[in-house]
Amino acid sequence: MKAKYLVLILVGLAFGACNKLDVAPLNIIKDQDIFTNETGVNSYLASIYGTMPIEDFIYRPERGFMNGDGERWQNFMQPGNLTGEMVGRYNVGDAAQGFGFWPYDKIRTINYMIVNFPKYAKAFTPDKYNQFLGEAYFCRAYFYFALVKRYGGVPIVRSLQSYPEQSIEDLSVPRNKEQEVYDFIASDLDSAISLMGDANIRARANKYVAAGYKSRAMLYAGTIAKYGATNYVDGDARQKGLAGIPADQATRYFQAAYDAAKLVEGHYSLYRKSDNKEQNYVDLFLDQSSPENMYVKDYSMSTGTAHSWDATMTCRYMTADGDAACYPTLDLVEKFTGPLPITNPDGTPKRFNDRSELKQGLEPRLLASIYFPGATLRGKEFDVQRGIYKKFNGTAAEELANNNTSSWDQPDNLVVSGDINQLYNGRRVMGLAGMYATAGNDNRTRTGLYVRKYINYKADQSTCGLYQSVQTWIDMRYAEVLLNRAEAAMELGTADKTADALNVINQLRDRAGAALATGNITIDTVRTERMKELAFEHHHWWDLRRWRIADKVLDNTRFYGIYPYWIENENKYIMLKQEEMGHRSFFFEKKWYYEPLPGGELGKNPNLYPNNPGY
Amino acid sequence: MKKLINSLLVAATICMATSCSKKDNYAGPDATFSGNLINSVTGKNLLTETGGFQIQLDELSWSSTPVPYNIPAKPDGSFKDTRIFSGHYRVIPRNGAFWPVDTTEIDISGNTTKDFTVTPYMEIKNFTWKLTGTTLQMTFNLFAPKTEGLPRVLDVQPFINNTQFVGSGATIYDVYTGPNILGINANYSDDMAKTTYTITVPNLLSGRTFYARVGVRVDDSNKKFNYSEIVKVDVP
Repeated sequence: MKAKYLVLILVGLAFGACNKLDVAPLNIIKDQDIFTNETGVNSYLASIYGTMPIEDFIYRPERGFMNGDGERWQNFMQPGNLTGEMVGRYNVGDAAQGFGFWPYDKIRTINYMIVNFPKYAKAFTPDKYNQFLGEAYFCRAYFYFALVKRYGGVPIVRSLQSYPEQSIEDLSVPRNKEQEVYDFIASDLDSAISLMGDANIRARANKYVAAGYKSRAMLYAGTIAKYGATNYVDGDARQKGLAGIPADQATRYFQAAYDAAKLVEGHYSLYRKSDNKEQNYVDLFLDQSSPENMYVKDYSMSTGTAHSWDATMTCRYMTADGDAACYPTLDLVEKFTGPLPITNPDGTPKRFNDRSELKQGLEPRLLASIYFPGATLRGKEFDVQRGIYKKFNGTAAEELANNNTSSWDQPDNLVVSGDINQLYNGRRVMGLAGMYATAGNDNRTRTGLYVRKYINYKADQSTCGLYQSVQTWIDMRYAEVLLNRAEAAMELGTADKTADALNVINQLRDRAGAALATGNITIDTVRTERMKELAFEHHHWWDLRRWRIADKVLDNTRFYGIYPYWIENENKYIMLKQEEMGHRSFFFEKKWYYEPLPGGELGKNPNLYPNNPGY
Repeated sequence: MKKLINSLLVAATICMATSCSKKDNYAGPDATFSGNLINSVTGKNLLTETGGFQIQLDELSWSSTPVPYNIPAKPDGSFKDTRIFSGHYRVIPRNGAFWPVDTTEIDISGNTTKDFTVTPYMEIKNFTWKLTGTTLQMTFNLFAPKTEGLPRVLDVQPFINNTQFVGSGATIYDVYTGPNILGINANYSDDMAKTTYTITVPNLLSGRTFYARVGVRVDDSNKKFNYSEIVKVDVP
């Protein structure tokens, strides 16, 4: 009886067996799940956009892009500190050799899409398909540009590398020439321009964004070709064209930069919403709907991506926590104004009834970029004051030569303090916004000045803490495209191009509230305009490098601040131009025009040799 | 049971204690490499400062693309490193104020010495000084041993320090060097060779002893200085 059941079961099993188990695994996402629908492609692209090497608020030139890193609150560790537009915690050498940037894993993610996505083209309308593919090309160009501006020539990898299917020898790709990499970037951006549409999608690329970046990359290539031909460090890498571009290529690149910039015209415009030029320039960096914004990066507290710009650019007197640790220099201010009117013709310091008199008549763009003594933020005055002179009878020059120790028969004539609460005859010795007697403490200014650009003045003080700032980073704005166009035009040098450069510069100056340029402008006019317009936006470091003037501008150079003092017996303020309190010496070695290839990569891939000259 | 566990523990301890006893059978960095950088014009050591040039070593025993190792210059123009691995090296003096030289390959073991002969970009000649009160006046001529292809001459800087270690990396910059730099910024010429230059450093602190020299640099890759001799200045 039992045996009968057993046989039945066996028969049943025999018939039921050998059903091939070919159900697709539900926990693995395959290409056809991603590349066949908009949601999938969008999420794939989001994973690329999310890791783009954008030099934003949290970028640190010696540490990298700090996405998700615990020290990404230190927004004052920014490249402006390397150039003298600001002074802060860096010496040039601390960050000039980079951080071993080598994002070929991210490039592979993009290559994967460029190789595999076309197989699923039929799932989309041609416009959609082209837009998506164009974005992939844009992103790849963005990565390669971040590489080439640091290292010069790097290996160009277009295909999808696979290991262990390919041998190590196959995968050890040698460096391409610097010129080849720039041409590769240009061709990727050309693909992006021809594929993408002109719809403006926030934090993503379109046709004109790609053109904007092309103008930037081609301008870099042109200036490196032109100025790198005379100022360079010789070595194997230069001889082989890995570091350096032949000078005869310069014109071609300048023309490409000019054409790309010109393509953007009419599709974006300078921000001019308010008639008050100073307020307009402040809001340009805060207004999400600015028609000047081309490519942006957003932040939010809910996703844990907020930054700390408000808490780390001004002192805690105006914020909830954090410290300031980088300060604009008077040298930058003087690019706008020439020497400030702080000294009378006879050499004595000019007397001010109120610190804010200093700001009167200055360019609105300058006032919107920098907080001067006497400016206000969140209802509090930047009451910057280094100390109290009991009396001041001489000239500024004598007093500075005397190291602030002239007495004019008054013992302990200058009263300074390291203590914010110390009073002298009922008056604070140092202002609540600074300055200390000497450097040693961060948080309060070392130059008399603070950064205003990007500061969210509308935010309540209690919300200005670390990881609480969510202003958008504007990675490319139309003003830069105009500056790229003007610079390329001046380098090309024909009469119509020079006229166009003048016209472009005056568009920017008009918006800035500055005096318009007339007549003959030079390449220096354009470069200075660029420094002024793009101050603190992380451009100047790369500009100094690609113009190959960093070793001349930063040659044991010291930078200056403006120090307000109270004169007790006159009840007036004076301002002295003094070296910034950190007394940093800025020095740029020529070999830093290229960063060294990362040692770990050289170890893995001997074909990357020769390293850049001097390393 | 307890016995078993204990004996297992004992066995494991013995195993662990006796395993992995492989000794490193490579020699340690016990070789010494030293030498001098000889000025081809004077036949004496190149006048330099601490770190004024580097001797770059590439150890070719294991790889054709090794990580470079650098020995920094001593202030007397010599170099010495007593912790080098014995092996076959490619060596070159670099990053100094002299015309580039070719690499040489040598075997380093035990106590290896090697002198290199280099031609400086510039020489400070006829260097004299005098102290008037607290003002130091230094006069000199500039001379280029090799003029063809010489990069533009940038400047001459005075270096003043309170120890005999004095140079661009060891000077009282803000007070004595920075304000008194003699900018030249021109290509070397016969006129330049004939000119007698003077650098004046005022307001030396009285009652101190200073060490002083001047250095000239050209706009080459490294922008290092060619120096004069060091002089000792007692300020009354």
